[in-house]
Amino acid sequence: MQELEQGRSLWDDALSRLRKNKLAMISLCYLVVLIIVALITPWIAPYSYEAQDLILGATPPSSEHWLGTDSLGRDQLTRVLYGSRISLAVGFTATSVALLIGVLWGTVAGFLGGRVDAFMMRVVDILYALPFAIFIILLTVVFGRSLILLFLAIGAVEWLTMARIIRGQVLTLRHQEFVEAAVSMGLNRWQIIRRHLIPNALGPIIVYTTLTIPSVILLESFLSFLGLGIQPPQSSWGSLISSGVETMEEYPWLLIYPGLALSITLFSLNFLGDGLRDALDPRVSKD
Amino acid sequence: MLKFLLKRILAAIPVLLLVILITFLLIRIAPGGPFDRERQASPEVIENLNKRYNLDDPVYVQFFNYLGNLVQGDFGPSFKYPNRSVTEIISNGIPITAELGLYALMVAIGIGVVSGVIAALRPNTAQDYIPMSMSMIGICLPAFVLGPILVLIFGIYLGWLPVSGWGYQAYDKVLPSLTLGAAYAAYMARLTRGGMLEVLSQDYIRTAIAKGLPKWKVVLHHALRGGLAPVITFAGPAAAGLLSGSFVVESIFQIPGMGQFYLQAAFNRDYTMILGTTIFFASLIVIFNLLADVLLVWLNPRLRHSTLKN
Amino acid sequence: MKIKLLRLILPLVCITAFGCGQKTETNVEKGYKTKTLYIANGSEPEFLDPHTSTGSPENNIQLAMFEGLTMKDHKTLKPTPGVAKSWDISEDRTFYTFHLRDNAKWSNGDPVTAQDFVNSWQRILTPSISGDYAYMLFVIKNAEKFYRSEIADFSEVGIKAVDEHTLTVQLNNPTPYFLQLLDHHSFYPVNKKVIEQHGDFYDPLNPWTRPENIVSNGAFKMEVWDVNRAIELVRNEYYWGQDRIHLNRLVFYPIEDKLAEERAFRSGQIHLTFTPQMATEKIAVYREKNPEALHIQPAYSTYYYMFNTTKKPFDDARVRQALAYAVDRKTLVEKVTKGGEVPSYSLIPMDPEGYSPKTLFSDDIEKAKALLAEAGYPNGEGFPTVEILYNNDEVHKKVALTLQQMWKNALNINVQLFNQEWKVYLSSRKNKTYDIARAGWIADYLDPSNFLEIFFSFSENNHTGWENAEYDQILRDAQSATTDAARFELFERANQILFEEMPLLPLFYYSDVNLVNPTVKNWHDNVMHYHRVQDVDFTVPASE
Repeated sequence: MQELEQGRSLWDDALSRLRKNKLAMISLCYLVVLIIVALITPWIAPYSYEAQDLILGATPPSSEHWLGTDSLGRDQLTRVLYGSRISLAVGFTATSVALLIGVLWGTVAGFLGGRVDAFMMRVVDILYALPFAIFIILLTVVFGRSLILLFLAIGAVEWLTMARIIRGQVLTLRHQEFVEAAVSMGLNRWQIIRRHLIPNALGPIIVYTTLTIPSVILLESFLSFLGLGIQPPQSSWGSLISSGVETMEEYPWLLIYPGLALSITLFSLNFLGDGLRDALDPRVSKD
Repeated sequence: MLKFLLKRILAAIPVLLLVILITFLLIRIAPGGPFDRERQASPEVIENLNKRYNLDDPVYVQFFNYLGNLVQGDFGPSFKYPNRSVTEIISNGIPITAELGLYALMVAIGIGVVSGVIAALRPNTAQDYIPMSMSMIGICLPAFVLGPILVLIFGIYLGWLPVSGWGYQAYDKVLPSLTLGAAYAAYMARLTRGGMLEVLSQDYIRTAIAKGLPKWKVVLHHALRGGLAPVITFAGPAAAGLLSGSFVVESIFQIPGMGQFYLQAAFNRDYTMILGTTIFFASLIVIFNLLADVLLVWLNPRLRHSTLKN
Repeated sequence: MKIKLLRLILPLVCITAFGCGQKTETNVEKGYKTKTLYIANGSEPEFLDPHTSTGSPENNIQLAMFEGLTMKDHKTLKPTPGVAKSWDISEDRTFYTFHLRDNAKWSNGDPVTAQDFVNSWQRILTPSISGDYAYMLFVIKNAEKFYRSEIADFSEVGIKAVDEHTLTVQLNNPTPYFLQLLDHHSFYPVNKKVIEQHGDFYDPLNPWTRPENIVSNGAFKMEVWDVNRAIELVRNEYYWGQDRIHLNRLVFYPIEDKLAEERAFRSGQIHLTFTPQMATEKIAVYREKNPEALHIQPAYSTYYYMFNTTKKPFDDARVRQALAYAVDRKTLVEKVTKGGEVPSYSLIPMDPEGYSPKTLFSDDIEKAKALLAEAGYPNGEGFPTVEILYNNDEVHKKVALTLQQMWKNALNINVQLFNQEWKVYLSSRKNKTYDIARAGWIADYLDPSNFLEIFFSFSENNHTGWENAEYDQILRDAQSATTDAARFELFERANQILFEEMPLLPLFYYSDVNLVNPTVKNWHDNVMHYHRVQDVDFTVPASE
């Protein structure tokens, strides 16, 4: 019961501990700025994301085009900015979908154990084994192109690994004294899951989430390659990177800048994730 | 234990059957057939080919015929490569892809676990940030970016390593293994770090350290066992993913493995090949997840009772 | 495991630390000594049966392995003797008598006889073999009837083996390009005796093309076929023209990725790239730094967009024309495709030695605007948003993006891009669930009919929904026309109709871009991308 009473101060503690973590705070600031920039892109972008200048072609960064232009003469800065909108939206939404399904599925399976666990995990196995490309091709035909669908499709794939990891974690936690104690005290299952299992599995959840976001951002470009989701001339970081690779010797800036945007975001997410994990660790809080 | 393994292996049969059934239906619904080409063949040609491959039977008949052949170990002829059987193509590709996957997994675990442990020992210091940042290169630079970069640097500008191939020249396996392993190294590193931190903060570890045991000894003997749990749960799908996900690396480095077929078969609507690669992949998942579960129990003896009982 | 890990990482560490990676001999250097040509050949060949294969990677290999009655001169593309050492043509140009060499042999030593050709042509004309290119033989009398099972007796088809070394062919019409066709893979001979050892002669799944089984009659024969690694051909010691072969071995690597192909070339793994396309942005680099390795050749092939004429707004020829006028083709080829493509205003490519279509229109924005206004959309008002459908490819994407922008600027209409996965794209085209779709045609033989016949109302490749009885009739007349002048006039009328109706929008003529090591001798560029490796040799570099 000690933990229950401490519930509120636990979060306060966590927040104050997070504040002390400089790297995590810098990362948080960067992410907030990034999200704001993505939101106001239509008003601050220096050029139109689709306007071409075929005579100009690909040019390295200059005072007019800070990040250079691509082979159709489109401003790279504008395209990276617009790309952040789609990539962040896909990254966060799809990951949330994956997180929601994965955490619920994994926790329930790991907690209930037995036949339910076996059944739920076999469902995961089946979904994992289905040919992904065919599944996506079918989606494009059945539902046409919509961003919502893209989010769902990615989320539907990414939750599987999440569920497995969470289940493993919950299985381990399930037999630790504090959970056994909670069970014997007669807390209902939902309370135990919510108050004990999920908070204690937060470490791997956060780590895996911060890794899922960038991989989802890159997966998006593969899906638009298959015709699902965004279509040119819209840009996303994933599609900018994959076309940047094609010309990385001739026009390196077309790969470097979107790559940097993705990398910095990824690093920030990870530092923030680690900070959060450390801050939220319930055992540390007992000190 | 034996009973547990047996049960899981038996449970794999309905899993595989369902995977086959769903895949079978999915590929039949997907637009475009195996014989569609830019230059459309005449209806007569398509009709004859359908007849030759028994695609003119009702779908349920095709399905049961397929299962019947499958029981006898026959995956049928490939639609795309008509003079090769799916069994032949897959069995030629498996050793190569498996070798590539094994090296990549070693790269991933080597880089990942080492940097994760180092980082967890002194969290939020330079000793944490530097190895973690290094290990994340693999995620910032996915295989389709990292591969060409490595080839250009080591294969072309420096001329030290072959630009492609698999076992044709000395050291040509280095770049593909690194490329494929790099992405997973980052996952391994982060999961190890997280798991280690979790374990290091637990009482029995603290007690051990308080007793004056050297920290590295505690880490190696006690903490690693528990700290690697999330890594191991991840290693199951990762190992399967390495094998199916090797298509990018295989195509960058011209490696004749089966990873390429996994994706190409879908693009070619090579029905038998899709089913063949899917069945193979599904079996891998079942096996690796089973292994991961067994390892998990082994690492965490308290689970033994409840998990093995069901 | 630790030891294995060490073994993997040590070489890398060693190499990186000491830079001790000794330069190993490249394939290119090895090739000079062993007379081996290393070739990048695009995707993995599906099947090497000349009667059922369709792709160009297969064709490249078949060209070295098989030989038809004639060959083509790789500079002029004029027919030259192949298995037939000479031939006579009747006065009305419908009856051919071929005199076969008596020293033409299969790679197992069997003689190549006239009966082999009769058997082979019967094979491809038998429906169960499901040869996509069976229609190529329909120029032969009764061939189509046999294919459609209207006659059962193959002896009624106009092909006769008079004796072991004499073959006669009766055509329906004088077909000026007939001698060219004989070098197409659908006309290649196969060895019936050998094929029957491995199964039914008329079964497309007969495994006779496996490396351990295959028997062919060309300059080279197969030795190795490792799926996704390499196909290796060696000299056929029974080939009649031993003195014409300079190389001992050909190695075809399946390299699908254009960038990987270029890297393989740069690092000396291959002597040449056989696929006629190259990564766009690399072309300029080679132009500047390594121009002697870069081969650019305008090709007898066309890149075009087709309209779905069954759907508004493209059911109106004026709208289709307006869009055709509103493209700046010069900028498109110079700034976007960049590979020496030539702007095109007709479906039919130019042929300086044969028929070249008249240029009937130009890039003219004013004219385009006027036509669009006439069709009821002044300044693009009321024009629905339409889609360009293309299959996923960097060049297709860029062309579509450029046109989207050009049409927006010139006509004020909104166009969206829609890329689809290859087979989905093909089925959308076939089912006409598109507005505008990207398409292209690469000639099988050097004749305008090859292009014009795409738009026969009953053609399987006409996905536009456009039908025109007069056009069909003109093409039929052209098939039976007896003189070049008469044919060319009919072609011009067909060309005129295509312009007026504009079911397709010609954009440019492709060009073939290849990388060829300058030491490769006798590699001649031509409009058909026809390369017989048996003529190729090396000029060994001076340092050797």
